[in-house]
Amino acid sequence: MMKTLHKRMAGTFLVLLLAVFTISAISVLSVSAADNASRLVDGADLLSDSEESDLLYILDEISERQQVDIVVVTVDSTEGVPVGAYADDFYDYNGYGFGDGRDGILLLISMEERDWYISTCGYGITALTDAGREYISGKFVDDLSIGDYAAGFTRFAELCDDFITQANSGEPYDVGNLPQEAFGFAGNLVLAFAVAFIIALIVTGIMKGQLKTVCSQSAADDYMNKDSLHLTKNDDLFLYRNVDRREKKEDDNSGGSKTHTSSSGETHGGGGGKF
Amino acid sequence: MAAIQEYKCPCCGGAIAFDSTIQKMKCPFCDTEFKMETLASYDDELKNDQADDMSWQMASDGEWQADELRGLSAYACQSCGGEIACDENTAATSCPFCGNPVVLTGRFSGALRPDFVIPFKVNRRAAKEALKKHYEGKRLLPKVFKEQNHINEVKGIYVPFWLFDTGANVNMRYKATKVRTWSDSKYDYTETKFYLVSRSGELKFEKVPVDGSEKIPDDLMESLEPFHFSEAVDFQTSYLAGYLADKYDVDVEHSAERANERIRKSSEEAFRETVTGYTTVTKETGSIQLQNGKVTYALFPVWLLSTKWNGENYLFAMNGQTGKMVGDLPLDKAVYRKWLFGLTGAIGVALYAFLYLLWLL
Repeated sequence: MMKTLHKRMAGTFLVLLLAVFTISAISVLSVSAADNASRLVDGADLLSDSEESDLLYILDEISERQQVDIVVVTVDSTEGVPVGAYADDFYDYNGYGFGDGRDGILLLISMEERDWYISTCGYGITALTDAGREYISGKFVDDLSIGDYAAGFTRFAELCDDFITQANSGEPYDVGNLPQEAFGFAGNLVLAFAVAFIIALIVTGIMKGQLKTVCSQSAADDYMNKDSLHLTKNDDLFLYRNVDRREKKEDDNSGGSKTHTSSSGETHGGGGGKF
Repeated sequence: MAAIQEYKCPCCGGAIAFDSTIQKMKCPFCDTEFKMETLASYDDELKNDQADDMSWQMASDGEWQADELRGLSAYACQSCGGEIACDENTAATSCPFCGNPVVLTGRFSGALRPDFVIPFKVNRRAAKEALKKHYEGKRLLPKVFKEQNHINEVKGIYVPFWLFDTGANVNMRYKATKVRTWSDSKYDYTETKFYLVSRSGELKFEKVPVDGSEKIPDDLMESLEPFHFSEAVDFQTSYLAGYLADKYDVDVEHSAERANERIRKSSEEAFRETVTGYTTVTKETGSIQLQNGKVTYALFPVWLLSTKWNGENYLFAMNGQTGKMVGDLPLDKAVYRKWLFGLTGAIGVALYAFLYLLWLL
């Protein structure tokens, strides 16, 4: 009787132990706290159900593949908390991020003041530099402005995917190394011919000028006796002086990401604006 | 009782007051500070302003001798009203200004006798060569024009000029600034110092020429300049042999305006050049008084060719002393458009290819 009890206990223990091992093995592979928090939190209810599921599928797919959490959060209001701090805390307290570095990128939209904010953490800081963030925001904020949130968020997710892939190559997109724009065929055509027309105007203008040789003489320098110039008064009177003082502008073109520490002590990068 | 001296702020023009705490004059409007002496000198400068005086005296007293006039014939153009003279052995057939036939009207009369003449130095053959050269290398010139020209019609004509000699007293006043910039770790500084710069002095002008013929455009004659007066000689009718002569029909008063303009411009430029070492210089006021301004009358040598093309008259002129050739040529609009659009196309395609290459790299 006692034996069977022991056996049972040992069996249960073994099962438990195995379970713990399995869980910890899984968590070592991909400890993303997105296990308990979704990568899409549509608090402001900006997306339809089908848009939500589509977007979440994309976010999950990219996050798992890249091992970097891509999170989209919308809220009606940040309740007085600065949007940056709110985004950082949301990230920290919901336990987003892969691995020890808690790698991830979070986009927060607050409808009250129409703020957007991107908070980066761990590898996200490396992949999405300040210059890179500027570039990305130039691509998706317009969609947010016109109210096409699903398109904006999808665009954001895809760009994050590209940026992380680029960062994996060891050279993240940054100042002087941003993604190349597609060649604007029409725009460049107009530009080339506009410049060409101006050059042609100048060249033909010179040719036209050769035909004209008649012009008035405005001065009489040829008849001035240069040696006769004789100054009788030569006064330079100092009147007053003005000193203008201007604060130096800090030159910020060094690339990389500026970071700060959130309320939970985690290091974040990021920045935002209005849409 | 001492008179109360009121000063105006050189910076903003407001009435200025003495500030006892800084022991300086301080403008209550713009807060600029001045030394008392500075303001006194500034005020003196402002009081020195003088008015322009640009008057001339006719120095020419040339009277024609009776036998001189007898040797000259006068012709008139029925078309443009031009009047020319030539010696009796030279026959004029067409108007040098418009190309139409002229008629003999009798003996030359009236008007002043020229004081000086610069004889022709460049001959007819050289004039024709110069005209041919004048057409060369000009791509927009109508082809027909090159073929149709009647280069043989070129005529040597003595053009009447008024010559203005004068000494000029010039007073100029400028506002000038010196700008200096420097920086420390936090700020960039720009210091602007304001100065009142006064210049007075004398300057001489010799034989400033103004075209005295109404038939010949002033700008055409001014384009022919300079004529070197050092080669001028006292007038003799014998110099007219083989050439035509125009007589003046613009009087001295009228011509003096043009001379004054040019003398003023040159004086101002010459004085402006004496103001150096400043970042900016702005002229405030200036005046010119002429001294011993006198006017003489002279004939200058010019080769003229008048050509009609597409109903318009084109007048070419060459300096008979230096050989300088001038004259506006017509523009072939069709050729111009061809060049404009051809160049736009060629450069446009090249630029587009260049932009694409730039993008690929």
